[in-house]
Amino acid sequence: MSTITSSPAKRFAGFDAARWRATPGPFKVGAIILLAHALFAIIGVFWTPYGFAEMGAGLPLSGASWQHPMGLDQIGRDVFSRFMHGAHIVLLLAFAGTILGMVAGTALGLLSGYIGGWFDEITQRIVEAMISIPFLALALVMIIAAGPALAGEPVLIVFVVGLVYAPRIARIARAAAMEIATREYVAVAELRGEGTWSIVWREILPNAANVLLVEFSLRLSYAPILIGALGFLGFGIRPPTPEWGLMISENRNLLIASPVTVFGPGLGLASLVIGFNLFTDGLSRMLGQRAVAGA
Amino acid sequence: MSVFRLLASRILFSALTLLLVSVLIFLILEALPGDVATRILGRDATARALEVLRSQLHLDQPALVRYFHWLGDFLRGDLGVSIATGRPIADVLGPRIVNTLLLSLFAFVIYLVLALVPAIIQATNRGKAVDNVISVITLILLSLPDFLLATMLLFLFAVAVPILPALATISEASTWQETLRAMVLPAVTLAIMMAVYAIRVLRDSLIEVLRSDYVRLAELKGLRPRAVLFRHALPNAIVPALNVTALNLGFLIGGVVIVERVFSYPGFGTLLIDALQLRDIPLIKATVMISAAVYVAANLVADVLAILLQPRLRASR
Repeated sequence: MSTITSSPAKRFAGFDAARWRATPGPFKVGAIILLAHALFAIIGVFWTPYGFAEMGAGLPLSGASWQHPMGLDQIGRDVFSRFMHGAHIVLLLAFAGTILGMVAGTALGLLSGYIGGWFDEITQRIVEAMISIPFLALALVMIIAAGPALAGEPVLIVFVVGLVYAPRIARIARAAAMEIATREYVAVAELRGEGTWSIVWREILPNAANVLLVEFSLRLSYAPILIGALGFLGFGIRPPTPEWGLMISENRNLLIASPVTVFGPGLGLASLVIGFNLFTDGLSRMLGQRAVAGA
Repeated sequence: MSVFRLLASRILFSALTLLLVSVLIFLILEALPGDVATRILGRDATARALEVLRSQLHLDQPALVRYFHWLGDFLRGDLGVSIATGRPIADVLGPRIVNTLLLSLFAFVIYLVLALVPAIIQATNRGKAVDNVISVITLILLSLPDFLLATMLLFLFAVAVPILPALATISEASTWQETLRAMVLPAVTLAIMMAVYAIRVLRDSLIEVLRSDYVRLAELKGLRPRAVLFRHALPNAIVPALNVTALNLGFLIGGVVIVERVFSYPGFGTLLIDALQLRDIPLIKATVMISAAVYVAANLVADVLAILLQPRLRASR
C-alpha cells in the first residue's frame, strides 16, 4: 500500500530503462501503437492535408495517389484528411463512453457487492436483464428511443456506450467488492464506525483498483468497435463527421474501384483496437489479473 | 442442494430475467418522457397522422395498462401488428428467423472446427513457433471489427477472387445449392468472430488438463497420444469453453445484425435494422424480446450442461 502514497514525481522517475525492459512485450508494443494513434489524432485536430469536409479536393472517385493516399470519396473529399480528422473523434468517444460506463458500473457494483441483501438482489436482477439484451440491440434501441432530436449527437453515443457497459462492469466490480468485503481491514473500518460510502470509497475501491483497471482497458479496447458498428449501420455520429465506422460504410460502394478508400480507415480502426488489446494483455499480466474477453 | 432444485432455480431465475427484460424494453421504448408518436413520426408529422398512430399503439391508455396488455398478448403468442407493413409480426418474423437459424447453424458448425483445430494444435505444440503464430493471428482477428472482417472477406472472395456471391439475397425460389453458396461468406465471418474468443480459452484449459494427473496416468498406461488427447483431455477441457460458447451465442445475435447487413441476407438481423430505421415500435419490441430470450436460453443450457457434465459444480453451490 505504501507505494501508492509516493509522490507522482517519484513514480514518474521510476520509468527508467530497467523498468522498461522488465515490462511484458505485448504491453510495450501496445503502448507504442497507442502513442502513435494519440499523436496522429492530435496532429489531425490541427492540421490535415485538405479540409475534412472540403468537397472537390480532387477528382471524385479517383483512386489512391501521392496527393491522396486513401483516394477520394463520391463527393471529392480527401479520405486521408477525413481519416486524420476522425482519429480524435474515435478516441474521444471511446474514452468518454468507457469512463461513463466505468463510473456508473463501478459505483453500482461496489455498493451492491458490499451492502448485499435486498439491494444487491434487486440490482443483480436488473444488471442480469440488461446484459441479456444483446449489446448491439440495446444500443440501437436506446438510440431510437432518444428520438430524432438527439440522433447523431456525440453526447448520445457516449451515453449509449456508457449504458451498455455499465451493467457489465457492475458485475465485475460486484464480484471484487464481495471478495474484499470479507477482509480484515474492512471489518476494522466497520468497527471504527465508518459509513458505507467511506468504506466503499476508501477501503474497497483502492483494493479493487487492479481488477477495475484491467476491466477499463478491456472495455476501452472494444469501444471503438461498438462505436464503429453504430456508425456503420447508420445509427452513429451524424455525417459529415468523419467517424471511421461511418466512413467505411459511406465508401463501401468504392470497394471495387478503390479498395484502399475502404480499408485505409479500416486498418486505422483495427490497429487501434490491436494496440488496446495488447496493452490490456500486458497490463493484466503486470497487475496479476486475468483479462476476461467476451460480450 | 440437489441437482433438481438447482436446475429449477436456474430456470426460475431465467424466467424472472426475461420478465425484467420486457419491463426494460417497454420502459426504454414507450415510457420515456415525451410523446411516443412524435418520436416515431418526427416533429413535422401532421396532427391527423399522429392521432392515427396513437390509436394504433393504444397510446391513449396509461403505460401500465399498455405494458400488461402487450405482455399478455406476447405470452399467448400474439406478437401484434407491424406499423410499417400492417402485417402480423409473427408472419414477418417467421421466415426471417428460419433464415437466421439456418445461417447460425452453418456458422456454428464452422465455428466448432475453427475453434477446436487451432486450440488443439496450440496446446500440443506449446511454446513452439506454431503456438505463437496462431496466438498472433487470433489477437489480430480478435481486434477486427465484425463489419470490417465481413467487408474484407467480401472483397477477397467476391471481388478479388470472385468465387462466391457478394450478396446473400436468397428467396424461396433459390435452390439449396444457391442458398448454401450464398451463406458461406456470412457464416464464415460469424464463425471466425466467435472462434477467436473460444480458441484462447480452449488452448489454456487444454494445456491445464494435459498437465493433470489423470492425463499423465493415461500416458503412463501406454495409451496412444491421440487416444489420450481425444478421449481423456478434450472432453474435460471443453467445459470452460462451454461458457464462452454461451457468450458467443449472445455475440452471434449481435453479430448477425451486422453480418446480415453487409451481405444483405434476409434474416432476423436485417429485419431488426429495418424495424429500427422505420421506427416500427411493435416490431422492435418483438425482435429484441426474442433475441434476449435466445440469449437467456443459451446461457441456461450452458449452465445446465456445466452442472450435468461436472459433478464438482453440483456440490459447490
